[in-house]
Amino acid sequence: MGYHLRKVAFYLAALWAAVTLNFVIPRLLPGNPVDILMAKLQQRGGSVDPAARQAYETLLGTGGRESFAVEYLAYLGNLARGDLGVSVSAFPAKVSDVIGDSLPWTVVLVGLATLISFVLGVGLGALVGWKRGTWLDSLVPATTMLSAVPYFWLALILVALLSSGLGWFPLNGGYDVVLDPGWSPEFLGSALYHGTLPALTIVISSVGGWLLGMRNMMVSAMSEDYVLTARAKGLTGSRVMVRYAARNAVLPSVAGFAISLGFVVSGSIVTEQVFSYPGIGSKLLQAVQNNDYALMQGIFLVITIAVLGANLLVDLLYGLIDARTRDRSTVS
Amino acid sequence: MTKKLTAGLALAGLIVLFGLIGPLLTGDPATIRDIGLTSPGGDHLLGTTITGQDVLAQLTHATRGSLWIGLLVGVMATVLSGVFGIVGAYAGGVVDEVFSLFSNVMLVIPGLPLVIVVAGFVPADQRGTWTISLVLAITGWAAAARVLRAQTLSLRNRDYVAAARVSGEKTWRVICVEILPNLLPILASQFVFAVVLAILSEAGLSFLGLGAADSSTLGTMLYYAQNGFALQREAWWWFVPPGLIIAVFGGALSLINFSIDEIINPELRNKVKRRRDVVATTPVVAPADDAVLTVSDLNVVYRSATPVHAVKDVSLTLRRGEILGLAGESGCGKTTLAYAINRLHRPPAEVTSGSVVFDGADVLALSPEELREFRWVKLSMVFQGAMNSLNPVTPIRAQLQDVLRTHRPSMSSSDREDRCAEVLRLVGVDPARLGSFPHELSGGMRQRVMIAMALLLEPQVMIMDEPTTALDVLVQREILNEIKRLRDELRFAVVFITHDLPLLLELSDSIAVMRDGEVVEYASAEEIYLRPQHPYTRQLLASFPSLTGERGALIR
Repeated sequence: MGYHLRKVAFYLAALWAAVTLNFVIPRLLPGNPVDILMAKLQQRGGSVDPAARQAYETLLGTGGRESFAVEYLAYLGNLARGDLGVSVSAFPAKVSDVIGDSLPWTVVLVGLATLISFVLGVGLGALVGWKRGTWLDSLVPATTMLSAVPYFWLALILVALLSSGLGWFPLNGGYDVVLDPGWSPEFLGSALYHGTLPALTIVISSVGGWLLGMRNMMVSAMSEDYVLTARAKGLTGSRVMVRYAARNAVLPSVAGFAISLGFVVSGSIVTEQVFSYPGIGSKLLQAVQNNDYALMQGIFLVITIAVLGANLLVDLLYGLIDARTRDRSTVS
Repeated sequence: MTKKLTAGLALAGLIVLFGLIGPLLTGDPATIRDIGLTSPGGDHLLGTTITGQDVLAQLTHATRGSLWIGLLVGVMATVLSGVFGIVGAYAGGVVDEVFSLFSNVMLVIPGLPLVIVVAGFVPADQRGTWTISLVLAITGWAAAARVLRAQTLSLRNRDYVAAARVSGEKTWRVICVEILPNLLPILASQFVFAVVLAILSEAGLSFLGLGAADSSTLGTMLYYAQNGFALQREAWWWFVPPGLIIAVFGGALSLINFSIDEIINPELRNKVKRRRDVVATTPVVAPADDAVLTVSDLNVVYRSATPVHAVKDVSLTLRRGEILGLAGESGCGKTTLAYAINRLHRPPAEVTSGSVVFDGADVLALSPEELREFRWVKLSMVFQGAMNSLNPVTPIRAQLQDVLRTHRPSMSSSDREDRCAEVLRLVGVDPARLGSFPHELSGGMRQRVMIAMALLLEPQVMIMDEPTTALDVLVQREILNEIKRLRDELRFAVVFITHDLPLLLELSDSIAVMRDGEVVEYASAEEIYLRPQHPYTRQLLASFPSLTGERGALIR
């Protein structure tokens, strides 16, 4: 099996595991989600006919009336049709619509913040490793300390200092509410302005991990023979650092992207909550607080798929930047 | 013990003590008084909450709660990662495949969303400390398992583990006695990491109102502070301390982890900035007329705890077109000497005296920029580890072109390509190989590429450090013939370093025999073969068997 095929197969397996987990969790845990949902639906003035009940039972379990296999097939069938049920907290909106509205916010926020954090962390880490023994060394404990700060705490402190205190940034939200969402420059500018502080929180908290990993790999790479050869070749210092040492040292950071992305996504959920950001993380918490199980499950599934997709992308990219992986017959 | 470890242990210890003893010394954290939001001072060292509860008392209880959950999750996650990482890797085969696939799947499924969903389904009154800890452990072990697996795989193949298995020791015994002790540093660092992660995740969950119902942690404290609008009311003493405790504890554990990393990999330790690589030089002696490289009285010392005098008063003269052999066993200082000539030696090595004159220029006096311009243009090298001397992630072309790009900036790109193809042809490698990556070439081919690279700028001198040691005899022979032919064609001089004295007798014009950093004998190859003067030279010659098998009768 080729490298690419193997990677795709792995992520399909992971996707199947996530989908199945999503199916199993509400059935194994205590509580009676379907009854709660039906009660909520009634409060909201939705129709509580047997069809509505059956839709939720497909999602959350029939309480033993049907066999697991039948339920599982029905559940997979619904998923395949993109039918994630009806949200009770945003009644009568469908779960897929609620997700569709909030997902872009999170993808842009988390995507940009992760990219900035990666570039910054890897760049600084390469420099710190290269210039070992200078004042730059102190960046390592400093940024690691920042990674140990809870995201939400940092976010609230930043809001208190920069928004409430200095008035530089808006307190919360994803855009100025007087504007109509769209592609107008005013709206995009407002979205950018509102997104700065949440993004800053994510970058500050996650940059330390990249920096430390890169610095350590850089130190190892610098004692490699090919770096010595590069120096003997009389190449300029910056060329040896970038093309030889850093080019090799960055590989484990890219390979370990999955772990880091998991942290960032987790942190951004809490960050979104702090900023009342109109993203999928806020929606997830809203769903949990309102016992909107259908929305909760839909969001978990979508977040997982997004993370798996991003990881697959990075793994395929890894194949491009390290030719050796493409030729290796087994994956380690 | 390093400063980092001391600081980390002290800080972490203080916070643990604070959580253990603090609750005994402070009052009931739940007592409500009518002095809401009193600022710190007097009876309430850290002020009060909105309902007049003592913040310090709350902080001690919350710290205890958070530490307890951290410990629970740390232990559970470490056990899980041990089972899936160590046992899987040790068992190998299908078990390893399945465990590894499972770990990787768990790794890519984002943790906190899963925890939130699970916490969302469990009714609040059933969400206890153990439930939350278990869920956090289940979602947090996978990364550690991957690290442990990699390490176990490498340990598993070590000789002493193989010996234990062959001698029929039981599996659990091999794992516990032979493997676990070697994994301890990694286990410790993964445990520390799991504790930090658990405290952070729990704080996040509690802050969202999804934490354990029966516990008070730093996260629940922050939850109440936020819902009491602590920051908006400028009651920083209520909101800041819990976060600070988490940050300081996390930071302290990170410091401990740094130290563990440095124990595992001593290279990572911070080093003092490189001092000068040349401490002192001796005045340059006028070199002989046809000499291209003159080394006089060169001394190199490794400034470690016990200084090692690696090169002692070495003097050599290399004439144009000459092949000078440098012989000696490993550790005799020949590689250090070769590096010092090009000033490639790294700290703690220092040139303490002597001079290196290349074509009239004092190499030891060159500025860094002059040195960079000198390297490869005048003197190129083929290294001992030629197998690893090529950058594994870029094609051969880029590595050859780098040299031209730097030293011949005015060269057009088509000229560069032509020149690269030309040198490859010189060493007998098909120029079509320019697009290949190092791992796609055989060992002999990589060595030829290295020699081609050394020829790129037509240097006057080439230093070859054991260029053929790792190759089989036939390839070795071909490459040596190639070097001789190229030398005759292009008239560069060679310093050829090897432990193989018979090879030098055949290849070189003159030979220097090194022992413990000193040149004990330096004469023409013929002289050394026919009339070796130093007992060590005779010993070296005698230690190689002849083709007829008699020791000491060297016939090639």
